[in-house]
Amino acid sequence: MTTKAHASPGTFTSAAVSSRNVARKKPWGPILLFLAPVMLFYAAFVLYPVGATMYNSFHTIEANLGQITTTFVGLDNYKALPDDKIFIQAVKNTFIWSTVGPTIELITAVGLALLVYFKVPFFRFYRVAWFTPMLVSGVIVGLVWRWIFNYDWGLLNVGLRAIGLDSLAVNWLGRRDTPLAVVIFVHFWATFGFSFVLVLAGLSTISNDLVEAARVDGASTRQIVWRVLIPLLRPVLITVTLLSFMGKMRAFNVVWVLTGGGPLHFSETVATYIQKRAFLWRSIDLGYPSAMAVAWFGIVLLGVGLLKLWLGRKETY
Amino acid sequence: MTTKSIPMKPAIDGRMVRHSVRQVLVTVLLMSVTLLIIIPFLWMLAMSFRTTGEILTDPYGLPTRLNFDNYSKLFFDPEIGFYRYFGNSSIVTLGALMLTLALSTLGGYGFGRSRYDFRFRGWLFALLLFALMLPPQIMYIPQFQMMTKYGLLNTYWALILLYTASQLPVSTYLMATYFQSLPEELEEAARIDGASDLRVFRQVMLPLARPAVATVILINFLQFWNELLLAVTMVTKPDMRTLPAAMMLFVGENSADYAMAASSLVAAMLPILLLYIFLSDKFIEGLTAGALKG
Repeated sequence: MTTKAHASPGTFTSAAVSSRNVARKKPWGPILLFLAPVMLFYAAFVLYPVGATMYNSFHTIEANLGQITTTFVGLDNYKALPDDKIFIQAVKNTFIWSTVGPTIELITAVGLALLVYFKVPFFRFYRVAWFTPMLVSGVIVGLVWRWIFNYDWGLLNVGLRAIGLDSLAVNWLGRRDTPLAVVIFVHFWATFGFSFVLVLAGLSTISNDLVEAARVDGASTRQIVWRVLIPLLRPVLITVTLLSFMGKMRAFNVVWVLTGGGPLHFSETVATYIQKRAFLWRSIDLGYPSAMAVAWFGIVLLGVGLLKLWLGRKETY
Repeated sequence: MTTKSIPMKPAIDGRMVRHSVRQVLVTVLLMSVTLLIIIPFLWMLAMSFRTTGEILTDPYGLPTRLNFDNYSKLFFDPEIGFYRYFGNSSIVTLGALMLTLALSTLGGYGFGRSRYDFRFRGWLFALLLFALMLPPQIMYIPQFQMMTKYGLLNTYWALILLYTASQLPVSTYLMATYFQSLPEELEEAARIDGASDLRVFRQVMLPLARPAVATVILINFLQFWNELLLAVTMVTKPDMRTLPAAMMLFVGENSADYAMAASSLVAAMLPILLLYIFLSDKFIEGLTAGALKG
């Protein structure tokens, strides 16, 4: 709150005095005018649905002959989750993705950002070029890479066979263990530019004087990186890791188009599974996927909280 | 690097060689990374200019001539009518943009200016930002039910309303932060002259907020144009689909016609890519601003 204690010439005119008195009364009319539209809209389209999902999760919703019946089932939907093999598989996959993905992304983003930071030629070009995948719709990303990973004529396998590495030209999207890896890689390709740009921005806020001072003191490049830059980058790195983690826990577009969670749920994520359960499969029960969504939200919160604790603790030396 | 003028030293000493060698290696590495990033785009581009026959015989050859047939068929063939999907996406994106701008500028002003502070304002703001933590899955089942109940499924409104809702927190946050940084003098002066709060907002403060508005427009344009989840769930009639949803249908149906599929992918990418080439800095700054300030 600002204090209006300037002794300017206009302070004591009657106009100024009365305007200060008017400023004392809260302008509720305008407050309502400005805040009500946003908050009401938000309440209707975000808060209400969240509440409704929580409500739904305690019920079984069935459609019998056009009639929608909602039956209260308490915690049954939640209890059914651990027995749902597909759900467990999806949770496992999503967790693997959310831990491996951000790690790879962080290392690559930091490594490349450091390289570019040391005044490599063309660095603005790299920044622009590497950010591009972020702009392309997840659909396009999924489709293009689906073609690249095609077993028979996809770019990857054709290239591998051309250089004689036939044994590596496997059925990437059709086997048991590779689809998830493909998903992780493709999503990494699409989002790495974002982390890279963030780290680069963080690096550019570090004053040159510090680096100069370290160099004058005789520090080698490696020491400068590890003892000066990385510690100063800590906040940015934490942000990048958290954002990356949260993003992968919720991601939908790329997976859906790339593998659809297949084959046979080997690359199923919680997001794709909820989608299938709620809208694709013949079961009209919306209660169960609602419980899934609420439970997953709780797990995401827990994950973010734990991650914050783990990352934050290292801050105090 | 200072050059030593001692005549007995060789012209090129070891350190300088290592330095330029490192430069070259680094450039090679970075260029290869760039290639890896860009190759999918290049391949699509090449395929879109060839015919399916050419592609089947030689998937990786370069186009012998720039064949625009695919594109003309894509846009002008009434059966395919790609323009329809462009139209749908444009309507939905523009509609949602306008609604988001209206709500978030008003809200950002109310949250950002100290004049409008009251005891629970902080709480309300936190409530608004709470949505940033929510995975979309937790909302869209009831949203689907709401749209069905009010007969809005398969209409533009379904997407316009829900897209706006999804981006309100970020947009309002950006506007609030910006409004907060504006000085009070102009506001005071206008009010002393007798202007109402709404007029002050409209004629004085809003024009000052152009940079923030531009950022909000860019960020949201990107999100709305590329959104898939809601587009696929709320709109099932093929004619009404937006680009991302239509792409899924289209490539599925035409999976044997690789040339057409490729050209449709390129066409769908084009608007954003063109915009990006001219505004890349603004895009990057806008998209990362929220993350860094948090």
